[in-house]
Amino acid sequence: MDRADPIAGRPTRGIRAAARLWWVFFRVGAMNELQYRVNFFLELFQSLVALATGLIALALVFQHTSSLAGWSKPELLAVMGVHVMMGGIIQTLVQPNMDRLAREVQQGTLDYALTKPRDSQLVISVREVRIWQTVNVLMGLIVLGWAVTQLQRGIGVVQALAFAGALVLGAVMIYCFWLVISTGAFWIVRMEEISELFQGVYQAGRWPVTVYPAGLRASLTFLVPVAFAVTVPAQALTHRLTERTLLVAFVFAAALFAFTRWFWRVGLRHYSGASA
Amino acid sequence: MPEDHPVPGPADPAIRVVELRKTFVVPEREAGLKHAIRSLVRRRTRQVNAVDGISFDIAPGEVVGFLGPNGAGKTTTLKMLAGLLYPTGGGLTVLGATPSRREKDFLSRITLVMGNRNQLEWDIPAADSFELNRAIYRIPPQAFAETRDELVELLEVGDLVRKPVRNLSLGERMKVEIVGSLLHRPQVLFLDEPTIGLDVTMQKRIRAFVAEYNRRYGATVLLTSHYMADVVALCKRVIVIHHGRILFDGGLSGLSSRFAAYKTIGVTLDDPTIDLGAYGEVIHRDDQKITLRVPKLETSRITARLLSEQAVADLTIEDPPIEDVIETVFASGEDDERLPEREKVSE
Repeated sequence: MDRADPIAGRPTRGIRAAARLWWVFFRVGAMNELQYRVNFFLELFQSLVALATGLIALALVFQHTSSLAGWSKPELLAVMGVHVMMGGIIQTLVQPNMDRLAREVQQGTLDYALTKPRDSQLVISVREVRIWQTVNVLMGLIVLGWAVTQLQRGIGVVQALAFAGALVLGAVMIYCFWLVISTGAFWIVRMEEISELFQGVYQAGRWPVTVYPAGLRASLTFLVPVAFAVTVPAQALTHRLTERTLLVAFVFAAALFAFTRWFWRVGLRHYSGASA
Repeated sequence: MPEDHPVPGPADPAIRVVELRKTFVVPEREAGLKHAIRSLVRRRTRQVNAVDGISFDIAPGEVVGFLGPNGAGKTTTLKMLAGLLYPTGGGLTVLGATPSRREKDFLSRITLVMGNRNQLEWDIPAADSFELNRAIYRIPPQAFAETRDELVELLEVGDLVRKPVRNLSLGERMKVEIVGSLLHRPQVLFLDEPTIGLDVTMQKRIRAFVAEYNRRYGATVLLTSHYMADVVALCKRVIVIHHGRILFDGGLSGLSSRFAAYKTIGVTLDDPTIDLGAYGEVIHRDDQKITLRVPKLETSRITARLLSEQAVADLTIEDPPIEDVIETVFASGEDDERLPEREKVSE
């Protein structure tokens, strides 16, 4: 599908067009959600409770030890900041779109998205934005800032850039992971529990994946890419990130993205009965 | 823009469907837990021929009614035409393109409206959803504003576009849905039950609008509806589909003359108390007029008898209402022996 895409051969134009479409949806979505100010306070409250719980857990751990798998207290605080922040990004941009996709497959309204003269994966990925969830992004940034001031080794430009790069790669991987799972809705109709399931697994990312046993660590890295989304960016800030890890993250993100596009098309072919 | 299909000339049909088929494989099991568990191991499936070899051409600018009972294959056909479903067999082109390839050029020239499903964002005003469609279809700002204002005026939606869609009534929502679906000025409109659930006034409004849109832009319209009034008002031509096959394709009047087994004779007598039961079935009588239903072939004989034997003040011969004709058509399709076995059981 989309074989006749005139912009397919020119990736930069394609990316620019995609970004423009995303921006229009973001603007309209944000404008409308800003009217519901109660949601802001609700979100703020939830975010504060979650943060308090996390801080208490951290304090409890450090009552008994001064480091966890080689991570000091401010370093773990940085992990927590990244975790909260990435959670906010996912809930603002990724989760609402994926929930809607599963819902629309079930209700049959996805047909409208598929009759649009744009890349269908792009359309289903940009339609929803939960602007108040950015409260978590801000909260994460505050925790992160606080952690950074306590770190013994400061942060240079290299670390900051590596951090930003790792964050983007992590977010892309989480998006891909979620879209692959949601695409399963074309075969298995009931996909509502996916969000809850993901939230459960994502909680494991509160700690650096290096604290977990090898099997679990591998799953959290390549099965559900929580390690790339949280631990790797945190490693960048704490001088732990090697060039090799960053390269692996890049290659894995690119491969996962390619796989996701392929899988989405397979799912669409199944949906339209072309594969039968 | 790469074009690997010929650009259709004025004489080419807007829609061409040749021996189109769509078969669904559906899982089948009997009710009950025992059967549910057994089906986990041995899945019985059944093939359902939703569309079973239909062919038709629709000329540019034509408005065609697509009729059939529930499950006849209307929506399946419409979805294949809109590129949502991949045909099992046969061929189809819409505006010279193969719909299932979902080329962007093709998709920006068609629209699909489903009366029972919304496409506008539920929580935001329709005007904002229009803006999103503008971005999706890459409509130039000036053309967008012109089309929007024209459609808003034609459908008299005015201030409604500034309210969140969820606050609109069913009829209001349908009107703004239609505006949203036509902002890119499609040349082919697939309307699936656009008036479903609407009150009579709103149905009329929507009908008048579709007719006007067709007149102004010469757009081709394929419409399905359960309401015969929609079809009578809009379509000169109807295609009747039943069990995935075409039962009739032609003018509305031809539908009556071919399928109606009866005609109705309205008689006004000088003495309205006379019983006309001997001439035919009395289906209605009031102070002045008696309405008789008579077999079509005997209409002229009975009319002649009535005129010679009774003191007739006025007499009219009419086709039965189109609803009754359609009912007859569907009933005749039910026991049509030419229909092949349409379901195969396989394991």
